[in-house]
Amino acid sequence: MKIILRAILITLPILFFTFFYLYINEDKYYPGADFRKFEMPIFKINSLYDESNISNNDLKGAYLVNVWASWCITCRVEHGFLSKLSNEGIPIIGLNYKDKKDDAISWITKFGDPYELIIHDLKGELALDMGVTGAPETFLLHNGNVIAQYRGEVNKMIWNDVFMPIIEKEEIFNND
Amino acid sequence: MKPQRKRRLTTVFLILISSAFGSFLIIKALDTNLDFFFTPSELYSQNIPDNKRIKVGGMVLEGSVKRDKTNIIFEITDYKNSITVNFNGIVPDLFQEGSGVVVLGYMNKDVILAEEVLAKHDENYMPPNLEIEK
Amino acid sequence: MLIEVAHYLSILATGLFFLCFLFAFILSAKDIFVINLVSRVYTHGFLFLLISFLIYVWLAINDNFNVLYIAQHSNTNLPTFYKISSIWSAHEGSMFLWIVFLCLWGVIFNLFTKNIQDLKAKSLGVISFVAVGFLLFLLLTSNPFLTILPIAPENGADINPVLQDPALAIHPPILYLGYVGFVIAFAHAIAFLVNGDPSIKWESLVRTWSISSWSLLTVGIALGSWWAYYELGWGGYWFWDPVENVALMPWLAATAFVHSLSVSIKSSLLRIWTILLSIIVFSLSLFGAFIVRSGIIDSVHSFANDPERGLYLLGFIAILIVISTILFSFRLSILASKRNIASFSKESFISINNIIFGTLIFSTMLGVLYPLIYEYLYDQKISVGAPFYNAIFIPLTLIAGIFLFFSIDSKWQRSVKIINFLSPMSASLLIAGASLFLINYFLAINDYSILLSVFVGILILVRYMFVIYEYLFKRKYSNPYSIIAHLGLSILIISIAFNSEFSSERALNIRMNESDTYRGYDIKFDDLRLEKSSNYDAVIASFILNGSDGRNFILKPEKRKYFARGQITTETAIKISPLKDIYMTIGDQLDDGSWIVNIQLNYFIRWIWFSAIMMAFAGLMLAYSLVRGKR
Repeated sequence: MKIILRAILITLPILFFTFFYLYINEDKYYPGADFRKFEMPIFKINSLYDESNISNNDLKGAYLVNVWASWCITCRVEHGFLSKLSNEGIPIIGLNYKDKKDDAISWITKFGDPYELIIHDLKGELALDMGVTGAPETFLLHNGNVIAQYRGEVNKMIWNDVFMPIIEKEEIFNND
Repeated sequence: MKPQRKRRLTTVFLILISSAFGSFLIIKALDTNLDFFFTPSELYSQNIPDNKRIKVGGMVLEGSVKRDKTNIIFEITDYKNSITVNFNGIVPDLFQEGSGVVVLGYMNKDVILAEEVLAKHDENYMPPNLEIEK
Repeated sequence: MLIEVAHYLSILATGLFFLCFLFAFILSAKDIFVINLVSRVYTHGFLFLLISFLIYVWLAINDNFNVLYIAQHSNTNLPTFYKISSIWSAHEGSMFLWIVFLCLWGVIFNLFTKNIQDLKAKSLGVISFVAVGFLLFLLLTSNPFLTILPIAPENGADINPVLQDPALAIHPPILYLGYVGFVIAFAHAIAFLVNGDPSIKWESLVRTWSISSWSLLTVGIALGSWWAYYELGWGGYWFWDPVENVALMPWLAATAFVHSLSVSIKSSLLRIWTILLSIIVFSLSLFGAFIVRSGIIDSVHSFANDPERGLYLLGFIAILIVISTILFSFRLSILASKRNIASFSKESFISINNIIFGTLIFSTMLGVLYPLIYEYLYDQKISVGAPFYNAIFIPLTLIAGIFLFFSIDSKWQRSVKIINFLSPMSASLLIAGASLFLINYFLAINDYSILLSVFVGILILVRYMFVIYEYLFKRKYSNPYSIIAHLGLSILIISIAFNSEFSSERALNIRMNESDTYRGYDIKFDDLRLEKSSNYDAVIASFILNGSDGRNFILKPEKRKYFARGQITTETAIKISPLKDIYMTIGDQLDDGSWIVNIQLNYFIRWIWFSAIMMAFAGLMLAYSLVRGKR
């Protein structure tokens, strides 16, 4: 009798916590994620650093396009993770969004530059075409199409749960 | 010792019976009062009776919001399918076209008659600074 | 610079707390030298943590945006008060505050308890262990001391304007104080179990601490409810939101616990229950922290999502609770009481109260967990709404109320005949029945659950009026704190019943200078102004309301747009009277220039919070009298 009671008392909390452990490791639904495929809009906009133009021709193959701005505090939080991705060989294009050139350049020189190219979208034209409503936002670009989009901060969890499945499915970034 | 033992057994028995009965009542209360959560696409693939209270989550479709006096009609979308929602009352401050929303209500002929509209807001997602927009 | 000092000090504090835990459990805790050592190490650990926190507050006041967390959650334009409260407006800072409060309870206990108290060293050891676990969680997964050197943003961000509110600024600290206060009872329970000496009266050692924590928790929950009422613009006081539920569960458990304590103190009966409840109360507080901070439940109140945080918290809480239950299950024999509880004694009623509260906690837990289990098993999202909780809470609370009514005539440790026809009991039954008849006659209420609630509420109220009369004029002693708290309960039951019966709302579509009517009020849309403030633009509408009693007044609901986030908020306008609130919010303007306006009549809503304040007041007075009685 006593042993049964003891067993029940000890098993109950263990069961309880095991359930939560399993639950946390489950796949989840992210409201910021969007997998509608659309063609990358045609654009031709200045680079942040010089007067040279960046256009669709520069974005052949697979890229991550990250919308950021110096006024966006969350972008600063996200910056560390992007640098890590960039070090791991993921090519990232910065889309500087509605930002003053000087602010953006000083931001990038202070924090480091994880981007291969930075598009200076002062008026938010390209961003409008891509359906950007705020920052940060991150797009996965593959052969001229946007195949995944995430609104909000990309961190390890979002990367693993939102981007990695589609990256593995489409076999992107494999050649490097 | 014997009467004490007998007494103890009756207590255990009573506790078991009452907790079983209590659990039965609780589970029954739970079962009749669940609100199921659907995305618009799931609504299309499943048949939902009119008297079932449901929750539907998704984005407010751009350009779909229409108002008529205190009534507001809009579409919720998950970018695959959308469904029309009819609500009488004040929508929350964070309610906007293109933003996340959850409605609670009943299905009626392919329209959701909403009792509650809740807007979702992400703390870490920022709208652009207004001063640069000229 | 300073931030590194603060960071370093909190690491140091973690180390000291860990030492304190080791000393308490490895060295012989009967040795007065060891107890002195543990006590000193604890005090120093707390001192370091406190200085670290004060530096943090100082940095927040002085807009040091080198600190990432402060830069993200504060702004130069905020008043000092909100700069401080911005510390607990998000996960990292609020966790920091939570830990400081946890250790604060420990240090107050340490300073005000003599070192010869039997369980002191081990209790401090347990508190230190909990503190170390959470400090490591803070420093490893959610560090508030991270900096963004070398350049800092000039103005910082802005805290969510919905959160810029006095009630919300003081609501979390009070709630946290209540939650973590039960660490004292928990630590004593564990120390008692480890010690294994059944002659130690641990219950009387923790009574004051538990009652004050219970009072603070009550105030904290009431403040949260009050804030949600006037700020969110929905006009409700309780939404059965998962985060509210995880705050309610520790409160229910704590209520059962403080009742059970009084039995165990008097006669060592119900000891098993009392120990178990002390573990459950604290576990539920920790469970609340886990639910809110792991982001596994969507809620208006929950913090951002991070699975690592969730896993760490889950692991640590699991360790604490599993150790506690193992300890508990192996010490059951020293807790068992030889005597039986006499039927119809006060103890028997308190046992019933414990069972009812246990059921309430179980059902609330089920309401929180069931959607998660369902989603896990069937991959289908569901939620459990108010109807479920109403179906459980209304009947059980009423049953508890009826038992409370009968328990007033019962005596400690013996069974007395409580059914007596010429007694205050039957008089109260008569009065309550008569008033129910009058209420039904004049107000025409048809809902049986409402009628029954009102009946039970009045029954308790009238019965306690007799008790007060006997207390004042016949010198018959009763516990005055119990009277106040239970009167609070009866007012709570009555006001919730009336509130749900009479309250109503309507959305109006109204133009400038036009009028509409609602429930005997003429509503005239008088004016609409735009006003600019330092950090927002506001649209302020003005309505003149004419009551059928000829009295008129103006309500000015408002809509604000904050610059920093572009966020729009609604400011409600409320006309408060003892009987009811008239509650107005404005919505959107339609294309034809008219506005959507919502008007609500909320009956007895003030009485709901007033009853909570009564309960908390009774608890604090009792704690105060216990402290004074000791000296």
